[in-house]
Amino acid sequence: MRRLILPLLVGIFFLVFQTTFLSSFPIQRIRPDVLLIFTLYLAFVFSPIFGGVLAFFLGYLMDLFSGNTLGFYTFSRPLVFLTAQLLKERFYLEGFPFQFLFAFFFSLSEGIFISMLMNALQPIPLASLYPSFFTCLFPQSFFTGLATPLFFFLFRKGSSFVSRQPEQGGR
Amino acid sequence: MFALVLMSLRAKQRKGVEFFDALLMEICSPLEKASTVVIKTVQKTFQEHVFLVNVEKENRMLKQKVSELQEENHRMIEVRLANERLKQLLRFREETPLSMVGAEVIGQDPSSWFKSVTVDKGERDGVKKGMAVISPAGVIGQILKTTPDYATVLLITDYNSAVDSIVQRTRAKAIVAGKGENRCQLKYLLRTEEVAVGDAVVTSGLGGNFPKGLMVGEVKKVDKKGHGVFQYAELAPSVDMTKLEEVFVIMEPLRPSPPQEEKVKKGKKNRK
Repeated sequence: MRRLILPLLVGIFFLVFQTTFLSSFPIQRIRPDVLLIFTLYLAFVFSPIFGGVLAFFLGYLMDLFSGNTLGFYTFSRPLVFLTAQLLKERFYLEGFPFQFLFAFFFSLSEGIFISMLMNALQPIPLASLYPSFFTCLFPQSFFTGLATPLFFFLFRKGSSFVSRQPEQGGR
Repeated sequence: MFALVLMSLRAKQRKGVEFFDALLMEICSPLEKASTVVIKTVQKTFQEHVFLVNVEKENRMLKQKVSELQEENHRMIEVRLANERLKQLLRFREETPLSMVGAEVIGQDPSSWFKSVTVDKGERDGVKKGMAVISPAGVIGQILKTTPDYATVLLITDYNSAVDSIVQRTRAKAIVAGKGENRCQLKYLLRTEEVAVGDAVVTSGLGGNFPKGLMVGEVKKVDKKGHGVFQYAELAPSVDMTKLEEVFVIMEPLRPSPPQEEKVKKGKKNRK
């Protein structure tokens, strides 16, 4: 239970961080998606079912605080998690460039997927949506990729600290 | 005795004594000079090094004081700006005949695709889904979701937003739809309508949520090049959606008043 609740609390913390602190910067396009980075990290440490449930909740949280009513992120985040789980064994993910590319690829893919869903569900196709690939999606994916190594490092430190705590308490 | 002789000689005349005076002075002065140099050096050393311990402490204290004053100054500026904003909001509220409730923006949309904000007023304050959200500068959006204490506002710049509007100068009807990135577009604007850059766009009051005549934005681009019945026009919202801090929720959504007969019937039912 603790293994499920702790990442959820961390997810809520990062959601608040993303909606308040990161949104306070004047340039919105450089705001990295910390929750996506966290979902990707979960793919390395959690089993498909356990992590899938967590990714679902994280996506649900995103939808809850965002202006979309159709639950795109509730759908896309478990998909991101499962795809990352499938790919994690096939890619070398140590070091800055690999982690950057990994997160950049997922951020870009998720953005394209959501925009396609948005367009498909609109009664009239949104012509103005695709130019925002370059003005909004690409810069955000880039900065998400850039921030990933740092956040992966922090998550690792945090999880090793948390996993060490019960041992120390038991002594 | 020798001293007495000397004193008496001096008293009588100054002759012969100048030599002794000079000799003594010549002997003592270098010593005096050396002593002064040593003392000054010691004093200097103390002043510049040993006594600097206090100066360093004082410096640190002054620096802290400066930073405290700077912080206080920033706080005062922030309070002054907030005061100005709130005064403006209060003036707007007094001038506007609508029933409104003020709300503070507490969070932005976590995703980059959707444009919404979270405000600190919810169902307990009477906020309901669909209510219009405005500011003194113009329309902001409408309530999308509510919880007992909070609500999500869908901004007019969101792709899913649509506000029934008219061009103020020509009264041309159109729908203001979100375009993301703090921009909107005028949908269903007939090609035959004359619209120019700089024209103001206001709410038509037909949608049911927004009262008539609220400022939506200003036309920034008009394009009639394409084919079809409609022309393309881009709009810059009158409110900067990236800098939202305080907003107003209009508490009385405009509903078409029921016909007189229905009112009478309802009245009868209530009496029963």
